[in-house]
Amino acid sequence: MAVNSLAFALFFVIVFVGMFCPWTMQSVRRQNAWLLLASYVFYAMADWRMVPLLLAATGVFYLVGHMVDATVRAQSWRAASRWTALGVVMGVALLVVFKYLDFLGQSFAALFAALGLRCTWATLHIVVPVGVSFFTFKLISYVIELHRQRIAPARDFLQFATYVAFFPTLMSGPIDRPGKFLPQLSDSQRFDRKKAVDGCRQVLWGIFLKMCVADNLAALTDSVWGAPESFAASRLVAAVLLFPLQLYADFGGYSHMAIGVGKVLGFDVAVNFKSPFLARNIAEFWQRWHISLTGWLTDYVFMPLNISMRDWGQVGLMLAVVVNMVLIGFWHGADWTFGLFGLYFGLLYIPLIIRGKFGKKKRIKAGAHGMPRWDDLRRMVGTYCLVALGFMLFKADGVASFVHYCQCLVRSSLFSVPSLGLPVFTYVGLAMLVGCEWLCRDREHPLQFVHGPAVRSRGMRWGIYYLLVVCILLFQGQTQQFIYFQF
Amino acid sequence: MTRQEILDQLTQIFQDILDVDDLVVTDALKADDVEEWDSLSHIQLIVAIEKHWHIKFNAREIMTWQNVGQMVDTIVQLLAEGN
Repeated sequence: MAVNSLAFALFFVIVFVGMFCPWTMQSVRRQNAWLLLASYVFYAMADWRMVPLLLAATGVFYLVGHMVDATVRAQSWRAASRWTALGVVMGVALLVVFKYLDFLGQSFAALFAALGLRCTWATLHIVVPVGVSFFTFKLISYVIELHRQRIAPARDFLQFATYVAFFPTLMSGPIDRPGKFLPQLSDSQRFDRKKAVDGCRQVLWGIFLKMCVADNLAALTDSVWGAPESFAASRLVAAVLLFPLQLYADFGGYSHMAIGVGKVLGFDVAVNFKSPFLARNIAEFWQRWHISLTGWLTDYVFMPLNISMRDWGQVGLMLAVVVNMVLIGFWHGADWTFGLFGLYFGLLYIPLIIRGKFGKKKRIKAGAHGMPRWDDLRRMVGTYCLVALGFMLFKADGVASFVHYCQCLVRSSLFSVPSLGLPVFTYVGLAMLVGCEWLCRDREHPLQFVHGPAVRSRGMRWGIYYLLVVCILLFQGQTQQFIYFQF
Repeated sequence: MTRQEILDQLTQIFQDILDVDDLVVTDALKADDVEEWDSLSHIQLIVAIEKHWHIKFNAREIMTWQNVGQMVDTIVQLLAEGN
């Protein structure tokens, strides 16, 4: 059930009514139970076979978390470390078994074959549970945060299970941390009109991005990547340059919808994007792109690595960054292209580290006429091009597909004028996306009116909403699955 | 060395590393309170503090700090052990 479908709208209305009916609002346990039931129904509609797995993983991690907390309270640090390690190993094993086992088996078989050793791997065709990469990270962070004494344990199983399975973020994130989310399940939620209105606006913007920008651009990029030899090389270049915008409109659109739905129910969900294409270098880009994932890996992989290698100076930092980025790559999928994707971005950090520009934060300031300053603009465009090149590995269906695409780029048609075959409105949608990214860079989403005539005029606000709805109805592309559903 | 003296010296270190001239370090200060205090500058701060007092933190101590006050507690403890 896609979150931009009518079926989801109906499902959400039922959840909303149940959540805020007087009987449910009397007790936080009733509200959590209702949310948990809704989340499991939502998950079952995606793949009912995996419901027992989600429930079992939640139960096991709840018990492990209990043991971590008990040993930390008793100051048995060694035992606490063992229980935490058990939790981390189980989480990683869950990912390896369901997501990476076939990939690892085939890779080792290929390696042994290259060494002249006979080895066969029968592909197991294991069904990957929907959202496994997202809920596993929530489970792991729970035991680590308990071990670091940063959170109190969940009050009961109901609270913990609701955190893990919270339906707006269950399939594709954002990856909420227990420290921010569990306390929100401690008291019963009251309907907050202001927050709900903001959530509805954010959902509307997310639907617009997904249906009017991402789905229209998908027609171009999917066709070109499907058979690159059939198109002019200039069109292939255009597809490469447009893919980051498509991915952003798709995943960013989904994130807006998930956060907005959470707000209507009274919850604050983690932010996932902060105007990523305004980044002036790669380090800044990854501080703005898929923040809930990069933040998770920064806290649990990069920081421990960097702390343990801090005496190695810049070399230690480079190693920690590259390992972190390769893991970010492989998190996306079991294929070498994702590993190379991470390695590519990890290596792009190295010049920044050497020049001491990694981590230096400079606020983006507007220049003349409210436009970006030339120096900033130049860096933003350069960073975007580097990102577009890296995202070729993300889009490619395997290393062979990537190599084939690169070969198709080197033709005389590279210098022809590309005909993209996109509906005219797609360009309007893209212009709106890029313009809003710049103008609304300090806001969570563009429909969060903070100044200008829309703040004063109710008519203008509603005019904007109607305009977006009309655009969605008239100019939506062919419905495509959310790209991040596969992860 | 008193706790206040440690906080005064930390203020100088924080101002240098984070490049924020008007930053005053207090026990309650957290990374979320200072935009420039991110994962990278955190490591730079740790290295600078270790050099300044000739002490060595272990990873568990670093990971469990939730504010400057807890960092100062560890510094006080390590300095006492050093004497």
